[in-house]
Amino acid sequence: MLPIVSMTIFLPLVGALLVMAMHKLPAKSVHAIGIAISGLTLIGTILMWMRGIEATGFSQVEEIDWMPTIGAAYRVGVDGISMPLVLLSSLLFFLTFIFSSKVKDRPHAFVILMLLLETAALGTFTALDAILFYVFFEVSLVSMYFMIAGWGHEDRQRAALMFFIYTLLGSLPLLLAILGLYLGSDPNTFDMRQWIENPPLSGIAAMLALIAMLFTFAVKTPVFPLHTWLPAAHVQAPAAGSVILAGVMLKFGTYGLVRFSLQMTPDAFREAGQVVLAFGVVAAIYGAFAALAQRDLKRMIAYTSVNHMGYVVIGVAIAALTLDPTLRAIALDGSVLQMVSHGLVTGALFFLVGMLQDRTKTRDMDQFGGLLNVTPILGWSFILAAFASLGLPGLAHFPAEFQIFLATLRVEPWAIIAILGIVITAGLYLQAISKVFLGATNEKWIGMKDLNFREVVTLAPLLLLIIAVGIAPFWILEMIHNTTAALQF
Amino acid sequence: MKTDLVLLLPEIIIALGVVFALIAEMLRSSRLALLISLAALLLATGFTAPMLGLDTSVFDGTYRIDTLSIWAKLILLPATVLSILMVRSEMGGCDREGAIYVLLVLVTLASVLLSGAADTMILVLGVLLSGLGSFALVAYPRNDAATEASMKFFVFASVTGAIMVFGLSYWFAGTGSTLFDDLSLLSDKPVLAVLGLLAVLVGLGYKSALVPFHFWAPDAYDGAPISIAAYMSVVPKIGAIFALAQVVSDLPPSSGWPLAVSILAVLSMTYGYLAALVQSNIVRLLAYSSIAQAGYFLLAIVGIGTSKLAIPALIVFAAAYVAMNLGAFAIIMRTGRMLRDLSGIGRNHIALGVAMVIFLLSLVGIPPLAGFVGKFLLFAAAIESGFIWLVVIAILNSVLSLAVYLRMIVPMYQQNDQGLELKFMPLITTVWLLSLIFTIGIGLAAQALLGRIG
Repeated sequence: MLPIVSMTIFLPLVGALLVMAMHKLPAKSVHAIGIAISGLTLIGTILMWMRGIEATGFSQVEEIDWMPTIGAAYRVGVDGISMPLVLLSSLLFFLTFIFSSKVKDRPHAFVILMLLLETAALGTFTALDAILFYVFFEVSLVSMYFMIAGWGHEDRQRAALMFFIYTLLGSLPLLLAILGLYLGSDPNTFDMRQWIENPPLSGIAAMLALIAMLFTFAVKTPVFPLHTWLPAAHVQAPAAGSVILAGVMLKFGTYGLVRFSLQMTPDAFREAGQVVLAFGVVAAIYGAFAALAQRDLKRMIAYTSVNHMGYVVIGVAIAALTLDPTLRAIALDGSVLQMVSHGLVTGALFFLVGMLQDRTKTRDMDQFGGLLNVTPILGWSFILAAFASLGLPGLAHFPAEFQIFLATLRVEPWAIIAILGIVITAGLYLQAISKVFLGATNEKWIGMKDLNFREVVTLAPLLLLIIAVGIAPFWILEMIHNTTAALQF
Repeated sequence: MKTDLVLLLPEIIIALGVVFALIAEMLRSSRLALLISLAALLLATGFTAPMLGLDTSVFDGTYRIDTLSIWAKLILLPATVLSILMVRSEMGGCDREGAIYVLLVLVTLASVLLSGAADTMILVLGVLLSGLGSFALVAYPRNDAATEASMKFFVFASVTGAIMVFGLSYWFAGTGSTLFDDLSLLSDKPVLAVLGLLAVLVGLGYKSALVPFHFWAPDAYDGAPISIAAYMSVVPKIGAIFALAQVVSDLPPSSGWPLAVSILAVLSMTYGYLAALVQSNIVRLLAYSSIAQAGYFLLAIVGIGTSKLAIPALIVFAAAYVAMNLGAFAIIMRTGRMLRDLSGIGRNHIALGVAMVIFLLSLVGIPPLAGFVGKFLLFAAAIESGFIWLVVIAILNSVLSLAVYLRMIVPMYQQNDQGLELKFMPLITTVWLLSLIFTIGIGLAAQALLGRIG
């Protein structure tokens, strides 16, 4: 058996070393290498998917001793929760490389950082050893810092610094929790499968570990009031950085919430479930209102991420609270699918804003007007993605949010007020569409070019998948459901 | 007695190296002094390696050949080799160059003695010997800054040394012996135990530059040549910290040493990074950073006796610290002392920039670098001994440290159109390349160390 998981994780790293070694190459070839490597990585993840996921535990596990003295090993594998996120990540990276093939400023360093980031992202989702997970988790942070600081917009230094310090402060409590789980396990190990099977901590120790983990993942997700780094980072990041940040890296938070908090300290999570639920509800509503107040398109989409990720937190909290396995599976199915949908939809939206900004050098909604006549492909693409984002049936977010709300109604009916968020996002997207694409055409933009081939290739897969997941979610839900239905705790 | 001498072979080789290098210098051949020094260090390292796994003592239990002291040799001797290469590059050709090598090896010998000390007299001997060599090293350039730094250093060391000797007499009064092994007799004499402990903390705290005994360090590092500062921030510091580990491993906990050590840890970490945050001189910044890093070492010390991870944590972090700190200093030797000298380095000298970023991120403790594995083990040791609050403070300080080190990283990637012409220095490049290999290697393959520590 080929170790496809490891090969896929480290292929981008090999690519990065390759580019580093060939620093005399012209920009075009460097971007071609980036596209080729990320394309191969995408194929690798599809192969992983085709190999199939077993119903219980982890599949395709690859394991090598690393630090046997302290019980740490290189362990990777996938289950129905991580596999969709792995697919999503490799797809978004591939499209980002296509979209970014225009970057002229230090293309070598850009491609190297993106490839490093891809290895870190795939590693975070597939790691089955807590140290390994932490390593990938932090490497992604460093790469993203340099991405924002190196290729961002006007105020990039400050935003990058804020991002780095905020998320490092956020991730160190996780280290504390990992150490606690390690010292609590018997025999001492960092094997996440062992921790999931026999949660090592109980009582007050488990609660402290849970609080530390919740802090980490709340910063990453982000959950109100720990979200303040997100708008700053998004606004200043280059379009490619925003897509990866929103599409892939925010999922580290919610994935960790499921993998670590829910699976490793289930009893403590049940006790704290109401609090987490409340944070999720507040995040969902706050995100929507904050988005409503924005004039900057990127900032608006960044805040809708807070809203959408809030629904994921609600779903996970519901899964922790309920004792009914069917409802738990529904809530988790919805949460995992919501992560995927958010990656597709928000990825598309950030690409579109990036394309708009490339043409107009502004992101201020009030500067636009009537662009649907000038750039119809861009306009309709945006409208489709915006409708998906506001949860229109038939598009990607609907089946996910529907399941989350369904489970919420059955378990904690009060939390259904989060549905208010959908109403507000509907309002704000309609407002944005009318300001940017409808009405009288702003003279300045007449003659603006519509999407070129590169941009269409970037967007088409995302838009098609948004429709595919919306109309027929079962092809991806089946894999998720097999795992969530078999979870024991 | 015969086996004692065999076990002491590395120390004897180093001592002979000092003597012969001094003779070579008297014959006005600094190149020969250099070669003798390097040969003695490498030979001693080679003779130490087969001793791994031993746990014994020599000379009636006054000097230990145990895990800590053997690893101290395996870490400090190569660190001195790297430091000598840096000194050669910075001060090669100066007057009495060979004497610097002699002094360096002598201070290393003192640090090695400290790390194996099992008797208060060895402890005093180590601190004084290492101090004497260090004063001369700092004063070497014979300019005002160096003289002033050395003077401060000397006064500070004399006072703390006197306090230490005075305080240690209480232990002797309590036990009737100078051996650490007899310190357990103090368990029902808490006053004597505490007085002696305070004295030891003053003496070793000064040597390892722990707050509040750190005042000499920034001035001394800044007044001294950069390569000497690099050396001082690594070798004598680790020697003193290992000595502290040797002392507390025999001290009854009733003396309250875990709490006292943890307070010093909090002070050093926090003050070190806060002070580093406002420096514009990189040498001073790294001096304060090394004060803070010394505080991190103490997280393992509080775990001694209660956590089986304490000794591995000390050793792994010491090795990591040597690699990343010497690496950072080596790069400063090429760029210059001030923060503004770093401007644009990352854009114009890509490899140098990447290496510096890796050293600094490792100092923060970002995985998968050496500093991460070291800190990870330190945290684990402290948590296992019940010092969760201390780890929480250490973690908060790690965030603070990110701000400190980013102050160096950010200017490196600023636009700087003035063509930065840096001289190629083969010795310095060797040092930072080796440091880089170890900074990454220890991070990825810590098992190579852990598996041998046992």
